[in-house]
Amino acid sequence: MKLEERIRIEPDGSVTAFSGKIEFGQGIRTAFAQLVANELDVPVERVRVVLGDTAQVPFDFGTFGSNSVAQEAPALRLAAAFARRSLIRRASAHLGLPAARLDTRGGTIGDGDGKRVSYADLVRDAPLTGAVPDNEPLLPPERWGSIGKPLSRVEARDIVTGRARYSADVRPARLARGAIARPPARGGRATRVDDQAARAMPGVIAVVHDGDIVGVVAEREEQARAAADALEIDWEMPKSEPSETQVVAMREDAGTDAALASAALTRSATYTLPSIASASIGPSAAVVDVRPDGATVYAGTHRPFGLRDAVAGSVGLPKESVRVMPQMSSGTYGRSSAPDVSVEAAVLSKHARRPVLVQWSRAEEFAYSPSRPEAVLEVTAGLDASGNMVAWRYDEHTNVHTAAGPDPRVAAMTSGRNAVPPYTIPSARVVLFVEPTPLRTANFRSLAAAENVFAIESFVDELAHASQQDPLAFRLRHSGDPRLRRVMERVADVSGYGKKLPARRGHGFACTLYHGTYVAQVAEVEVAASGAVRVLRVWCVVDPGLVINPDGVRNQVEGGIQQSASWTLLEELRHKNGRVATTSWDTYPIATFRDAPESIAVLVEGDSGAPSTGVGEPGAVPTPAAIANAVFAACGARVRDVPLTPQRVRKAAQPVA
Amino acid sequence: MRLVLTVNGARREVDPPPAAPLLSVLRDDLGLTGTRFGCGSGQCGACYVIVDGRAVASCLMPVRQTADREITTIEGLANGETLHPVQEAFIAEDAMQCGYCTSGMIISAAALLARDAAPDEAAIRDALAGNLCRCGVYGRAIRAVQRAAGTMAVAVGSPPAMHR
Ligand code: FES
Ligand code: FES
Repeated sequence: MKLEERIRIEPDGSVTAFSGKIEFGQGIRTAFAQLVANELDVPVERVRVVLGDTAQVPFDFGTFGSNSVAQEAPALRLAAAFARRSLIRRASAHLGLPAARLDTRGGTIGDGDGKRVSYADLVRDAPLTGAVPDNEPLLPPERWGSIGKPLSRVEARDIVTGRARYSADVRPARLARGAIARPPARGGRATRVDDQAARAMPGVIAVVHDGDIVGVVAEREEQARAAADALEIDWEMPKSEPSETQVVAMREDAGTDAALASAALTRSATYTLPSIASASIGPSAAVVDVRPDGATVYAGTHRPFGLRDAVAGSVGLPKESVRVMPQMSSGTYGRSSAPDVSVEAAVLSKHARRPVLVQWSRAEEFAYSPSRPEAVLEVTAGLDASGNMVAWRYDEHTNVHTAAGPDPRVAAMTSGRNAVPPYTIPSARVVLFVEPTPLRTANFRSLAAAENVFAIESFVDELAHASQQDPLAFRLRHSGDPRLRRVMERVADVSGYGKKLPARRGHGFACTLYHGTYVAQVAEVEVAASGAVRVLRVWCVVDPGLVINPDGVRNQVEGGIQQSASWTLLEELRHKNGRVATTSWDTYPIATFRDAPESIAVLVEGDSGAPSTGVGEPGAVPTPAAIANAVFAACGARVRDVPLTPQRVRKAAQPVA
Repeated sequence: MRLVLTVNGARREVDPPPAAPLLSVLRDDLGLTGTRFGCGSGQCGACYVIVDGRAVASCLMPVRQTADREITTIEGLANGETLHPVQEAFIAEDAMQCGYCTSGMIISAAALLARDAAPDEAAIRDALAGNLCRCGVYGRAIRAVQRAAGTMAVAVGSPPAMHR
């Protein structure tokens, strides 16, 4: 790693840090600024973080799996530490004092209260450069100034004043607006486009039919949409090619079937989850300016370099001539791994020779965005006479969980994420079946973990009840990982798990180990006679290793829980013949202010000796099972199908004796 | 169609197509992009602005109906560099993630507190029920509105709302 690719000391002594990661509201810009400020011993306000600009940052594969802080924190800290040491070396020559006597303070270097020299003076003649050693010593914790301190987001003021600029707010000179004509279902190709009427409509600049893209460019958005609607198009629908099921064995212990057959108690259950939408509040948008010699792309993306290459390919430009400048983005929770809207804007811009903004409508966003695929989870387990799990069989049926499409090398990590339970079980067989489903699918928060953990943690709860054991004690007796045990015990403690609650209320427990982050949750619900479930409170203890910004972690985890509660109780993307039927907030409701729990209490108790791990996804992972287990505790209804609608809860409710 | 609008206290002349909604005039003709597009059908709250004291969906309001009315957008809430108490409170509670829904939430909250200085939690939930947030900051936003009510009450010399 070269220092100059990561850290630059500016002529005014401020610091610029570079990373290929992207901010989606998960607070990484703030966390990175804190890390760099800490190591360079400057106030956080003096650090500017450039994220994802392909002309400025080092190559990065993408922002996925809550891994940004985990991957980038060590690199940025090392670079900043090396920059600090390099500055001290220069200061030593400048002041004529041995480096060992010098120290940093607020962007200056000197010997106690004696003569000091500023960072700005030290880089005046030559910028800092050089290879960053992997073993560069870091500042010891007692010298930390910014790490571990809560800090409000660096973008906060721009957001609350409306100054924050999202992709759809970029307004280059001569900006035109684009609208796309959509096929009746995914994959349709236009064989004939009659644009006579459209061309004559007010404001129309160009009608474009290029490859799979048919669209209109006009001066105003309404004009572009009206003209796109006026196009007469013959569509040819693709022949559906039957795609094959991929079978991936994720754990295969010999003797699992025999152990099941000889178990003292066996139970089986099937859990299902529907397809759901990423349901971003801001529909996909991009501004692209294609010129003969290159292009500039303003968009939200998880993969700036991947997007650069996709846009370059779509308009026939060399990729080095395309610059992706990531903009603030409405949260998309994984969905913007797909380059679609930017490619559309690029193709329209190429033909119109103007910068073009394409912003999808709400209906397009629901109907044409990739979604999380449905999942069917079949599980059987056996317990011995003293209540220990001795065997476990688990079949996961679902589709691809990434925009990149089926890839057997990553299936276990993506579609199979968290399918192997975090418990000690002597014999287990866990098999993933990646099967085609009707809708376009792609990355979504936590990939398949939310589905798998719903099934596993619901089932573990069922096993505990079937063998007359306390669900928490049952989990603890099967867990040897001290960090997992600690978050479980802590959340039980703070929530009062197990205490008596008023009628129709219940506590549900669930936990996970997700990409190195430990999470345990207790949900308290109330079930009305109608079967309607209200989540009253959620407690969560999370251990993400070393914590940089505790309030940032809390915010992410709270949001994950809130979103996951919405998936669990309300959400289902309905479709027919490959077409999404739920294309508005009316038909695809999500949780509102009225549904929000009275409290979501998140305790961040990171093991500071362990590396930082992600927090953007794991908070959402145990919530569906915590809610379902709480519903069982409240009214005896075991609901194995998400969403937990009032009808399903009523149907599953046993008449309570 | 020529119109004169009163936006954030200033008179602005515009010439949009007759059917244009206020939202597209704000964003595309006046460059006030802090008001966001979310659904275009009054279902998400991202586009809320205050018109004559009420939070309304600018995506549904035909611009020609707004000519003689006072329009306040998110850009017009602060007084110079001094933020509106609701804006301050959203920062203090870190009541945002991606921030896309934030303009609309702050508009709803400011309109609420202008007509009810001490709303209880149920009133806050009701007033903001039209503002969807996919990132899930509802709990923080409720605390932010309560905090803003408290500071506004102190500012006018009465006891803080929560102690009444
Ligand atoms: S954009 Fe106006 S309410 Fe959604
Ligand atoms: S903060 Fe992202 S939608 Fe509300």
